[in-house]
Amino acid sequence: MKKYWRCFVCNDIHYGVKSPEICPTCQVKNAYVEISSAEAETICRTAKAEKVDFEKDKFLGAIEKFAEKNEFEVNPDREKVTMLLDGIYNNEKNHNLKYCPCRLITKDFAEDLKLVCPCNFLAHDTYREKGECWCGLFVRRK
Amino acid sequence: MFWARECPHCRNMMPLVDRLIEEEGVEIEKLEIWHNEENADLMRSFKDVIAPKCGGQLRTPTFFNTETNDVICGEVEYVVLKEWALK
Repeated sequence: MKKYWRCFVCNDIHYGVKSPEICPTCQVKNAYVEISSAEAETICRTAKAEKVDFEKDKFLGAIEKFAEKNEFEVNPDREKVTMLLDGIYNNEKNHNLKYCPCRLITKDFAEDLKLVCPCNFLAHDTYREKGECWCGLFVRRK
Repeated sequence: MFWARECPHCRNMMPLVDRLIEEEGVEIEKLEIWHNEENADLMRSFKDVIAPKCGGQLRTPTFFNTETNDVICGEVEYVVLKEWALK
């Protein structure tokens, strides 16, 4: 079961089954202590108050960087990418998270987290068979 | 047909659907699911029938024949769509 963890040096928050051995921010070893969800939410909400803009261009840059060291890339078809980003951002505006524009949420939150872009598309039938995530935002590098 | 406004597969399939309606006179309801909550709820109500045939998920486009319960997900050729509609 996933839990919340806080670095006692720099207050990084980690959500996972285990805490990181080394804090990726301050590099301190064995620095994480388990905390309550309420504490984690408060810290993250406060950090959010600093307002980090994440518009489409920044998101595109982030997924391009994410793809860089992987076997896939962002689809070179920019018209398709633009359409998909519109959908992803409309879903975030209307439904709170960057849900895939080509699938529908079930209203089971844990299940629907699997639809947040980028999703774990490497496990999907469409990626294995056709080299594309379902919506086509990511394609296997040629 | 359940479709989504920003889904490229749906955009590609739309001319084939229109052709099918025009050439065969079949009735296909086009229900957009990300910007219409009623349509989304309707699609979710068919989850038990649709999802097993679509990788366990509710994907767009989904062609659901309410008379035969036949389901197609994603982009297919015209002949496949026609067969689905005329069954």
